[in-house]
Amino acid sequence: MKVIGKQVRKVDGFELVTGRAQFAGDYQFPGMVYGAVKRAGVPAGRITGIDHEAARRIPGVIDVLRAEDIPGPNLIGVLPPFDQPILSAGEVRYAGESIVLVIAETAEIARQAASAVSVSIEPYDPILSVEDALRPGARKIHEQGNVTCAKRLIKGAVKTAFENADIIVEGTYETSFQDHAYLEPETVCAVPGRRITLYASCQSPFHIRGHVAANLNVPASSVRVVQACTGGSFGGKDDVATEIGSLACIAAQRLNRPVMIAHDRMESIIGSNLRHAARVSCRTGALSSGRIIAREIAVMLDGGAYASESPFVTLKTMIHAAGPYNIENVEVESTTVYTNKTYCGAFRGFGVPQVTFASESQIDELADKLGIDHLEIRRINGLKAGDPNATGQVYEQSVGLQDTIEQIAAQPDPAHRERSGFMEESTGIGGEGSKPLAGRYLYGTGYACVLQGISNGAEGVDVTGASVQMSQDGSVLVGIGLTELGQGSRTVWAQIAAEVLGVDIDHVSVRLVDTDAVHDSGPTVASRSTTVGGMAVQKAAVEVKKSLISMAALMMQTDGENIELRDGFAILKADDSARIPIASVATAAYWTGFPLMNLAFSKAPPANFDEDTHQGDIYIAYNYGTHRMDVRVDTMTGEVKVLKHLASHDVGKVINPLGLEGQVQGASLMGYGLAHMERIEYADGIIRNPNFADYALPSIKDRIPTVSIPVEDHNPTGPYGAKGVGEPPVAGTAAVFANAISDAVGFRFRRLPITRENILDAVKRGNHG
Amino acid sequence: MRYLKPTSVGEAADVLESSRGMILAGGTDLCVYMAEGVCSPEVLIDVSGIDSMRGIQAVKPNGEVKMIQIGACTTIAEVAASEALPTCLRQGARAVGSPQIRNLGTVGGNICNASPCGDTLTPLLALDARFVLRCVRGTRIVESEGFFTGPKQTVLDPNEILESIELPLASCARASAFRMIGNRNGQAISQANAAASLMMVDGRMSDVHVAVGSVAPVPLRLGKLERFLTGKRIQEVKLADIREPVLEGIRPIDDVRSSATYRQEVTIALVFDALTACAGQSPGEREGAGGC
Amino acid sequence: MLIRFKCNGKAVQLDVEPEVRVIDVLRDRLGLTGTKEGCGRGECGACTVLLDGKPVNSCLLLVGKIAEREIITIEGIAGEDGSLHPIQEAFLDQGAVQCGFCTPGMVLSTKALLDENGAPDTEEIEEALSGNLCRCTGYGKIVDAVLEASKRLMQGTSHGGE
Repeated sequence: MKVIGKQVRKVDGFELVTGRAQFAGDYQFPGMVYGAVKRAGVPAGRITGIDHEAARRIPGVIDVLRAEDIPGPNLIGVLPPFDQPILSAGEVRYAGESIVLVIAETAEIARQAASAVSVSIEPYDPILSVEDALRPGARKIHEQGNVTCAKRLIKGAVKTAFENADIIVEGTYETSFQDHAYLEPETVCAVPGRRITLYASCQSPFHIRGHVAANLNVPASSVRVVQACTGGSFGGKDDVATEIGSLACIAAQRLNRPVMIAHDRMESIIGSNLRHAARVSCRTGALSSGRIIAREIAVMLDGGAYASESPFVTLKTMIHAAGPYNIENVEVESTTVYTNKTYCGAFRGFGVPQVTFASESQIDELADKLGIDHLEIRRINGLKAGDPNATGQVYEQSVGLQDTIEQIAAQPDPAHRERSGFMEESTGIGGEGSKPLAGRYLYGTGYACVLQGISNGAEGVDVTGASVQMSQDGSVLVGIGLTELGQGSRTVWAQIAAEVLGVDIDHVSVRLVDTDAVHDSGPTVASRSTTVGGMAVQKAAVEVKKSLISMAALMMQTDGENIELRDGFAILKADDSARIPIASVATAAYWTGFPLMNLAFSKAPPANFDEDTHQGDIYIAYNYGTHRMDVRVDTMTGEVKVLKHLASHDVGKVINPLGLEGQVQGASLMGYGLAHMERIEYADGIIRNPNFADYALPSIKDRIPTVSIPVEDHNPTGPYGAKGVGEPPVAGTAAVFANAISDAVGFRFRRLPITRENILDAVKRGNHG
Repeated sequence: MRYLKPTSVGEAADVLESSRGMILAGGTDLCVYMAEGVCSPEVLIDVSGIDSMRGIQAVKPNGEVKMIQIGACTTIAEVAASEALPTCLRQGARAVGSPQIRNLGTVGGNICNASPCGDTLTPLLALDARFVLRCVRGTRIVESEGFFTGPKQTVLDPNEILESIELPLASCARASAFRMIGNRNGQAISQANAAASLMMVDGRMSDVHVAVGSVAPVPLRLGKLERFLTGKRIQEVKLADIREPVLEGIRPIDDVRSSATYRQEVTIALVFDALTACAGQSPGEREGAGGC
Repeated sequence: MLIRFKCNGKAVQLDVEPEVRVIDVLRDRLGLTGTKEGCGRGECGACTVLLDGKPVNSCLLLVGKIAEREIITIEGIAGEDGSLHPIQEAFLDQGAVQCGFCTPGMVLSTKALLDENGAPDTEEIEEALSGNLCRCTGYGKIVDAVLEASKRLMQGTSHGGE
């Protein structure tokens, strides 16, 4: 192949590296004004009064919008019935909730005026924990109660199986809230008109279109959403983009002026969705051979004030909780609960990191009890092609887990194998100059295996629209309904089109995502850009190719099957020198009347499963991976140095090697942040660290030396056999870090993040017995 | 808002007296406060253009070097890079924020902001630094140890400007080191920090100065520890020995950045590491040995 | 107030209040939107510009302070003819750009580093870029790009292996 699998530069790289790319905040329109919201400031209560007189009097303030000024239902959400207001209509359910929108001539005045709005709230006792939410008689955060959703997976019969187990291990594991912390805060710009256009930093433009239309009370066909260049999303720019997108559009239509709303960093942290915090109770039963015969898992997710993507996160945690293993008896109960905190939703990994940490920790604990090597126990139980997974789904192809295990197993052993003991308190200062004192450091190695379902699967309809258009000069324009957020999908789609049409990738452009241009493609999530997205682009390109082949056949007076498109030419297969430039073929095709544009629609095979037990076919494919991490722990400070991190993932087919490495490294550092450094700190329902100083996002000096070792196990449902890899390294890295640290310190950590303080505590306790 | 740019310290003092405005040096702290609405000054007095307030020089009143003088508007990056300055101060400066912050922020600003976490403050205490304060009525000199009175509080009067910092010659002759730990490895606010500065005479420690930050309302010296270490051979001092003197001297709190218990443990480690680093500096090899 | 300074090699004269932030002057008055606001507090580096060759956070820099001084933004890095600087080429060749929001700041901090130290080691690169946060790449390829750029600049080549 010419382009697939080759090292190519990002097709949008030039604009990005020169600063010319237009992010939502870079747009300028004549007469543009700015919006900022006043937020609740208390986690729960009822609004008793709003006084915006002082705000209105500030020079430069143009308008103030309240809930009653919203033409439509004032509701957004992911799955109906929608439960999230755009502006609070009376009830306050979390401290970051938007109450009032102020529009002003400058962003600064809008903010100033927003803080001058006075809102009286009669506070309720906030519900700040899952326990409090589930207590009988607890106040209802929503009408239907405090359980957002609950799902169950039943495979085989765990009760009997446990009775036959030689050994049972149990434990409860917890993870904390995490913020997406993309560098570009949420921003939108609405331009009014006969049809309103919204430029948005977003992930799901069709989703936004539907809600904007509903809340503006206009037909969806009169709303156009264009995705601006987006500075990272990771699942975070779904709900919030819809919220501020709707607000901007409503204000723009009302005032007949363009409106920009840009969050600052604090708003991005308190006012947009977070990763669910989780408590996972896990029970594993195995035979003394190491074979796991039963797993029973209860997942409890703290989902904050609104449902957002919780139904899908609940489902995904349930499906992935038992891990990438062939286990005959599995029962999982997964529940998300409402609390009076910032709502939780989509975040790269989508629940899989939380349950993987729990599952992989317990696998190690099981291995230790049985005296089996940590990698060996995973080998014994790891899924192979033909095995039924936790939902009973069987894949005959593309189950590369064992290959990834072997890739990791083949790596040289860690340099430090000994747990070198603790430094003596009698050690003198100045020992050996600048060399670390003997015993100061502990070393450990950890392993973890992960699986991640590709694309939406059971979470909903899995369709994508794409367009491919060739001009008379042979250049190609690709359009698609999925969004590039930095993950390199625009380049992958361009590569696919270039490969199919035989043109140089420099002649392929990918247009901005525009809801006017292609079929509703749903959200860009679940690592589906390469698979379902890629298939749609491939389909459209193949149709255009047919026209070119037909035209070239006429020109060369032969049958179409004798011609191929390659290197910018239509070439006779039998005689390489018989070739016509594609541009000439395209021109001729235009004048002859062959269509040179195709709008394609790709649909993943539907999920087909039992609603009560979730047994059946759920995902088109899974990505599998094995990680290894070697760590060094400073016994005096708890500091960790990651000496080695290997991430081997079965990606089906590597389409863009550079892009793939970047995805694995980026996702891994995010998992490392979840496992070690990042934590949203709440006190009485208020986030105490909504800034980059106190929320420990990793800097370059905190990076880990991730090496990606891809494995290619062809996936028949993806273009050229590819699967996505955007998400699984988050789970793999979080889990492997916990196992590596536990190995180093000789203590099992059951809560993420495992901070330096936690490590130091454990070291000291171990030292003094 | 009025924006004034005096060209001399005298002019700055006059303008400060008459306008009661706020001094702007680099702006890396002030701009954050303004952005958060913590303050909205009506008058800004930009002193960053006053040449006499910038630069590092040896002061030789009678031809002999008596002290090193650092202009208050010297950037933190310049302090970090200066070979004329003791190691602990350079290392402390290097720990402040990020390269961007260090290129704009000034050592004077770091001092007057008076955050107990300030990474140049602990070294200044360990070096017996003195601060030259100027107002319309004249100049006064305040010892660094007495300058800080609480978190973000100093003895500076509203009409006073910090003009320069003086480091006595004796301080520059000592071996010194600074260590800190934050919530991440890059661009981090100190959860705890420590600066040590001492002389080695015939293998025994003397003139011992140990200062710690982020573990009390102000950066402070650990007198008990200093007395304990004085006269001893550095190799004789055990980790267990320094534990109690360190813990007795500090009063760390729980806050969003760290817990009191972690701060306690880690301060011991930082002091240990700083002392170890000092011990490793022989007269010819010390950073900052030249120029004094 | 009339403030004169140099921006990307060209003389600029603006009537602007001195307490306006340079990031706002660049984006709103001069139309140079390549400089980004990620946090407004000097904690992320997305707004990095070079002030007399040194990287600073333009969200903390008041325009009154840059009178008679020189600013370089990302728009001033590529050649007059639109050709990319070796640093920009290296970033693209090494896959160091994902969403691109941190990229202008990264490129400028890199330029300042390489102007001062033509052959930095990994530790020096990490120190120089420690004020530029990135959420997409995991930083590995950014370090690779800086090493590659330093090699090319030393060799006097713009593109690798050409």
